[in-house]
Amino acid sequence: MNRLLRFVPAAVLTIVVAVLPLVVADRFLLKVFTFVGLNALTAVGLALLFGYAGQVSLGHAAFVGIGAYACAFCTTKLELPWLAGFAIAALLSALGGLLLSLPSLRLKGHYLAMASLGFGELMSVAFVEGSPVTGGVNGLGGIPFPAIGAFEIREPATLYWLVWGVVGLAALIAFNITSLRPGRAMRSLHGSELGAQACGVDVTGVKVRSFVLSAAFAGMSGALYASFVGFISPSVFTLSVSVNLLAMAVVGGTGSLIGPILSAAALTLLQYIDALIPGLARETAQVVQSFQADIYGLAIVLVVLFAPGGLAGLWRRRGGERP
Amino acid sequence: MSELLQFFIAGLKNGAIYALLALGFTIVYASTGAINFAQGEFFMLGGMLGVWFSSLGLPLPVAVVAAIVATAAIGAAFELLAVRPLGAGDPLRVIMVTIGGSVILRQLALHLFGPDELPLPPFTEGASIKVLGAAIERQTVWIWALTLLAVLGLAFLYRKTAFGKAMRATSLQRDAARLVGVDTGRMVTYSFALAAALGALAGLAVTPLTQTVFDVGAGISVKGFAAAILGGLGNPVAAVAGGIVLGLLESMTAGYLNPLYKDAVALVVLLIVLFVKPSGIFGGGRREKV
Repeated sequence: MNRLLRFVPAAVLTIVVAVLPLVVADRFLLKVFTFVGLNALTAVGLALLFGYAGQVSLGHAAFVGIGAYACAFCTTKLELPWLAGFAIAALLSALGGLLLSLPSLRLKGHYLAMASLGFGELMSVAFVEGSPVTGGVNGLGGIPFPAIGAFEIREPATLYWLVWGVVGLAALIAFNITSLRPGRAMRSLHGSELGAQACGVDVTGVKVRSFVLSAAFAGMSGALYASFVGFISPSVFTLSVSVNLLAMAVVGGTGSLIGPILSAAALTLLQYIDALIPGLARETAQVVQSFQADIYGLAIVLVVLFAPGGLAGLWRRRGGERP
Repeated sequence: MSELLQFFIAGLKNGAIYALLALGFTIVYASTGAINFAQGEFFMLGGMLGVWFSSLGLPLPVAVVAAIVATAAIGAAFELLAVRPLGAGDPLRVIMVTIGGSVILRQLALHLFGPDELPLPPFTEGASIKVLGAAIERQTVWIWALTLLAVLGLAFLYRKTAFGKAMRATSLQRDAARLVGVDTGRMVTYSFALAAALGALAGLAVTPLTQTVFDVGAGISVKGFAAAILGGLGNPVAAVAGGIVLGLLESMTAGYLNPLYKDAVALVVLLIVLFVKPSGIFGGGRREKV
């Protein structure tokens, strides 16, 4: 019984997400909820990386960008089928993650955070300067909608279901990883890396694998973003986006997948607050939007100071269960 | 020949700036065991506050000193407000707090000073100095002089004063330092203030050449950190050497290969050093034991 109860939040969340397009008729709101899904996809990967393996990335916007440009380039310039572009996007991002994490994760300490910051800064220059592939500052347009075979997905509701379907798959993969042996290995890193190593956990391997998987999820999110919006430019994949994504993982909490998905939703919806609350004065919405980065930064500091387990940690504490 | 000399001068100029930042990383790392991601924001604040103080009508030297003092105070306040409450715990939490804090500092600068690039006049006006066919801007000489002064001052502080010895004791053995009566908590605060002052000095010295803007911190952080790792994190002399080597590598890459690759040098150096010799080129073969 108790085991089943654990799945209630996930089941409720799944049902709410699945039926939302049937209730919401507004096309703009559906787009907003699709953006939430795109961020939730990256947040699931970061939940593994930060919340389970205890590693920080300040460069995930770059992996989103690699995925977006890879998919856009494959579908527009090379005219490959969409699914091929999507797969190439995920693979390229994963490869980038592997190249970055192998050197940085062999050591104790958090060198990966700085290396990923440098990687993100470098890629944002590369997106601008690599104009034969990326279109430079003008970006790439005319990216086709997602298509599976001859079936093109272009309706807002179907796009929404596609994105959230991928989120669901990613969450399922992540859940399987966390609840089985690799997950226990990841969590053991939080307690003591040395202790984990002594118990036969391949510490570096666990960290590298979680980083590569999180990079792949970010790349998939980018590929979906490119096909969903139809246009990408370097300004979408900057350091501040990486910080936003990190804030989602931190606020969402450690050792949880639902926490980061919920905080990804909350923090993403913050920018569309005027669309969600109809009576809200425009000035209030503008203030919230101009202080958005401040809110994210402050959220990281406050959570680390006062609730290191994040939302998930608070929930666990409420339930009397020790983290 | 004069071309090589010119690249060499540019490398030494940037290298001195990276050295100051690397020193800041090293000082905080020595006292907390954590990487301070707000180091680049101190660099940004130094330049920004310098511009602001001089726009208030203060003479340039006064504005520069005021900006350094104010940034050091911000560094100390940052430590007291955000790092001190964490206690001597998990370095991951210290890192996270400095990441969040760097975002807040960056945004504060954006709200207060706006999104535009801001200039600062050179410390002394006048034409460049010609040496063997190469030109050295006067501000570059200032950068070298101030870096040298800062390094000598730090060496004196660490070797000759009771305060410096307390700082070194804290970084070597926190508990042992406390046993002999060192207020280790206060030493951490001082290390943040000192790192902030060094970052501010770097930002102030370079702003007359490059201008400054609210978001320069992150990029310069990566370079300062790469310099610190290249030398060997935690060793001040090696940090300076690492900064100069990185500066020279960058300027030679920009000069002889392609200026576009300049920004990639720091990341490539960082990854190679982490992969091949994580203790840095000047670090000993000290291995971590159980």
